[in-house]
Amino acid sequence: MAEEKDNKLSSYLERLKQQAATQQHYGGDITPEEAKMDMRDCPACGAGRAFEKGLTSCAYCGFVFMDIKLTDGVNIKKENNS
Amino acid sequence: MSDNPLLEPIHGITLEDYSAACAKMGSGLSEADIAKALGVEVPVWQEANLLWPERMKQDETFHIVTLFGQYFGQADQHPKFSNLKAAVSAEGGANTDRIKSDKRFYEELEVARQVAYEYGLDGAQWIADKYGITLGDFQIAASNWNAQIHQDIAADFDGYNERQAAYRAKYQQLFADAQGGNVADDIEF
Amino acid sequence: MFGFFNKKYDNPALLEEMKTRQERWFAFLDKLEARMQELTTAAIPGLREIFDQDADPYKRAHSNMLQGLLGQINHMRQKANDIKDEQIIDFVYQAEAMVPAVTSTVGRDYHNRIMNFRMACLNRHYIFDEKLNKCIQRLQLAAGERDLERAYQEQLRAFESIRDKFSCRQCGGNITIEKMFFIDTYVTCPFCHSQNTFSPSTGARMILHDARALAEQRTAHLRRAYEKSDPREPELEKVYLRAMIDEWNKIIPDMAEENEKFYQRLLREQYFHHFK
Repeated sequence: MAEEKDNKLSSYLERLKQQAATQQHYGGDITPEEAKMDMRDCPACGAGRAFEKGLTSCAYCGFVFMDIKLTDGVNIKKENNS
Repeated sequence: MSDNPLLEPIHGITLEDYSAACAKMGSGLSEADIAKALGVEVPVWQEANLLWPERMKQDETFHIVTLFGQYFGQADQHPKFSNLKAAVSAEGGANTDRIKSDKRFYEELEVARQVAYEYGLDGAQWIADKYGITLGDFQIAASNWNAQIHQDIAADFDGYNERQAAYRAKYQQLFADAQGGNVADDIEF
Repeated sequence: MFGFFNKKYDNPALLEEMKTRQERWFAFLDKLEARMQELTTAAIPGLREIFDQDADPYKRAHSNMLQGLLGQINHMRQKANDIKDEQIIDFVYQAEAMVPAVTSTVGRDYHNRIMNFRMACLNRHYIFDEKLNKCIQRLQLAAGERDLERAYQEQLRAFESIRDKFSCRQCGGNITIEKMFFIDTYVTCPFCHSQNTFSPSTGARMILHDARALAEQRTAHLRRAYEKSDPREPELEKVYLRAMIDEWNKIIPDMAEENEKFYQRLLREQYFHHFK
């Protein structure tokens, strides 16, 4: 009787642990990613993005990268508007 | 309201935009999709995503967070996201419509989701697997039903509790059976 | 005058029923307690193992397992509450309705016995509840605190090792990342002044996520000092909050301005709570 109960408890625990370890989590697994560097060239004229002319439009052909007004955020500031 | 500096857009992203974006992220859209829909690049979106919650933390009147909930519930109507949907099955689509139109269905699944967690499952994933409803859509339904459910509780507290208890009993039974019973099922008075 | 109030009332069946009911109630709670202790003790090693093996930064596998265990413990709590309502409380009402009025001598005697029964049963339930809360606490604390300081120091080292290993996507010039970033950001090439986009590693992003928890770990001694003060000393809370925000700002200097605003709110609320 006591043995049966112990078995039940340990099989419950084993099952719970197994389920916790193997079940899929909402949003999926988080795959660790390395830091990386990238760049968005101007899709209109192919030029790189120049700092002096701001982030919102292309310094060379005027293509609008982002049709918004940047405010003072964390690293991006008002001055970064084109 | 418009004088409230805490409601000023962040990099052009308004609270309406941000709230809808959060709902859509919960429905499986990526950050890149979100940024594109808002007409910004990912670094700009990530700053807004960091700073809007700060505004909520700073606002002790809870005005911002209340509006957030309201706009979150209206995410499906947001023009910038109206054409953007994560892929779902036909059945999932039908259930998603139902949870937003059938209050009892929402109430039942909300209980089911909680009880799933109490049995060691990922409740949000269980709802997605079983009904094809994303967490984002589930939360949209929650925001939309919230006020009505509060009214229901005020009008008929016992009736509400009875329904909740019945849902609980149903799902406790379901999940307990799946794990071979509860640990103390054999202990009787 | 008529001997009415002294009329003998005797109900041995009720006394016997109270005695056996109390014994059954105690035995029932003994069994539940034994089971929850067994469950807790048996679960702790597995809970630790899952925590240590869980590669997920949010430790979701551990969290699900813990939730499941707490679910079972709370199921036992529910079971005891249901039995208490059905078999103890309802029984007390029925018994009180059955015996003579409390204003009579025999009535008072029986009401006292019922009250003693009720108190004994409820006290036993109180002890059960305390033990149950202890089990919950043991399960919650089983895996220990995450060592956020170590994770943070690891990320600092990782950043030092990669910060000068990037090059401009436009001209190929070497770019040194000036400081640790926790979200995507634009970085300007020192040679051609092109705007590159830097995406920090998952580990670095988690520092932002865990920054407050780390700041709280670093200042836990101050929080404990505040919590130990009796009556609670508002000045000690202020000291704790200030130190916690300072640590938070050290970890994420970029968020210092926002954290300051949050701190001001906390202070206003503290004022409200302590002096309302």
